[in-house]
Amino acid sequence: MIGGNLSKWTMSYFAIAIAWLVLGELLMTIGFGFPAAAAEAPDTLVVVHIVCIGWLSMAMCGALFQFVPVLAAKPLFAEGWQLPALVLLTAGLVALLGGFMVLGGHLPVWLWLLPTAALLLVTGFGLVVTDLAITVWRAHAPMGPAYFVIAGLCSLCATAGFGSAFAWSLAGIGRPDLSVLLKEGVPLHAIAGLGGWLTLTAMGVSYRLLSMFMLAPDVDNRRIRTTFLAGSATIGLVVAGGLLAIAAKTGIDLVLASAGGLGLITLALYGRNVVFLYWRRERAQLELNAKMAAWGFASLAAAVLLATVLAISGRFRAHVEAFAFLIAFGWLSGLVLAKLYKIVAFLTWIETYGPALGRTATPRVQDLVAEGRAAKWFGAYFISVWSGTAALLLDQPSAFRIAAFAMTVATVGIIQQLIRTRRLAEVAGPLRLPSGTHAPHLLYASV
Amino acid sequence: MRQNYLDLDVRPILRNGGEPFSVIMAALARLEPGQGIRLYATFKPLPLFAVMAEKGFAHAETELEGGEWEVLFTPTGIEAPATDSGAQPTDIWPDPVVRLDNRDLDPPEPMVRILGAAENLKPGETLSALLRREPVFLFPHLEKRGFRWLGGFTADGSTYELTVRAPI
Repeated sequence: MIGGNLSKWTMSYFAIAIAWLVLGELLMTIGFGFPAAAAEAPDTLVVVHIVCIGWLSMAMCGALFQFVPVLAAKPLFAEGWQLPALVLLTAGLVALLGGFMVLGGHLPVWLWLLPTAALLLVTGFGLVVTDLAITVWRAHAPMGPAYFVIAGLCSLCATAGFGSAFAWSLAGIGRPDLSVLLKEGVPLHAIAGLGGWLTLTAMGVSYRLLSMFMLAPDVDNRRIRTTFLAGSATIGLVVAGGLLAIAAKTGIDLVLASAGGLGLITLALYGRNVVFLYWRRERAQLELNAKMAAWGFASLAAAVLLATVLAISGRFRAHVEAFAFLIAFGWLSGLVLAKLYKIVAFLTWIETYGPALGRTATPRVQDLVAEGRAAKWFGAYFISVWSGTAALLLDQPSAFRIAAFAMTVATVGIIQQLIRTRRLAEVAGPLRLPSGTHAPHLLYASV
Repeated sequence: MRQNYLDLDVRPILRNGGEPFSVIMAALARLEPGQGIRLYATFKPLPLFAVMAEKGFAHAETELEGGEWEVLFTPTGIEAPATDSGAQPTDIWPDPVVRLDNRDLDPPEPMVRILGAAENLKPGETLSALLRREPVFLFPHLEKRGFRWLGGFTADGSTYELTVRAPI
């Protein structure tokens, strides 16, 4: 069979992911972590890992379980691994947050929490990576976007590897070299995670989703490959070069600066491909997901510009948090929320009305959403993210908390729209559940 | 009499990530009576063996250097009985009664139209459809409803040709 079956647990991954996002935003609203605490303080690590593992990685895994089989035109290697992976990742994240709370003095000194977290997260991500990588491997002729997924999965392994080393070191177990790695290697962990795993994977998936949803021709495979090579080289340089530099005790600044240049080239190549997709699209009227994804791309461009200006004026280190915030919330979260809005509607439509298609009148995918209402929440989300970035740049912690509160409200607004879609609440009465159809479950697909 | 084969090398199409199915089917339509096909592919084309057997061709494959394959499809003179229906004398698919050009439709409209037209087919009839993409989300629904299908991209990769046959 070909890879067009519905993934049973993708909705569950999305639901848990977005709940973590709200929790992360609430913590920023009450002033937990940066900027009230230092960027490397345990409280900040709690928020960062809620956002990067709980929200972004969970949402990405859910989307990949559905779309890697489509990219590879092969069924998923092991359908049965999705739920155990979800449980392991959730338990691992809870243990990790507990471990950081220990370091922050909020919990008794349970040093075993961090190594336990590392074990659970590595096992959970290990299941995800193995399942997806074997699925792509089995594809007869992997498409360009699939290469990005593989590079993203390799970066995930590197990120998890660094993270585990840190966890052992913080727990006081392991060799002394680990503490050297902990002292200098945190940027490598962050770049492999945000830049490698999340950004490279988002790039690969966006190529396919944008061309699918905007009716654009696929980007030429050669162009995709060039971008892929530049992106993989960037992350490879950061990980391998960074480790060598730490081992040779030369400091990692030179490696980071060269990787910054390569990363800039990657993003320029990617930007050119994205402009091509929007330019050559055949759908004249853009749907909300494509419009909002464009705001995500604009945030990425703004982050690149910000980093360049800060680097030239020698203030990058002082404002690296504002840059990371814009990457995490403007680019990655913005793009994921925009695509989630379409993916949830599409998967709900095919799950509910697929069996009745051609046999009776059924609604269109667009009948499941109310774009006008959702657009306001998305608008509020992006404006509050940009305001939050400005507040961080200007060192205004109170303004940042107000922006974080606005982000929380906007996210809850978007969640409400997703629930309405899943509940078929926007579909006009007679078309809502024609004979032969069943209302979908909110949190998983009935397959 | 020495068997006469039409040479067909689909390796360039496969190396470019294309789908050679429609080219093979076009070659099949060009064959003279009794003529076979000598196919060169970058892998052992297992799915094709079943399709060709249904069309009345036996296969003999030889592995070449570098993991590539040469396959001889030889007409057996008798078409194999259809796998799912013993009552069916041959399994040559009839010409489509409906032809859809869904290339300019917004997804998932192509899928909606194909399923709509498929539901109106009489037993054993076929429809053909042209699409921009491989309709991956359509296949599980065709399968659940007992339809069979054959599909592949044209050599230039711009159009996906799909033929759907109603259950007999």
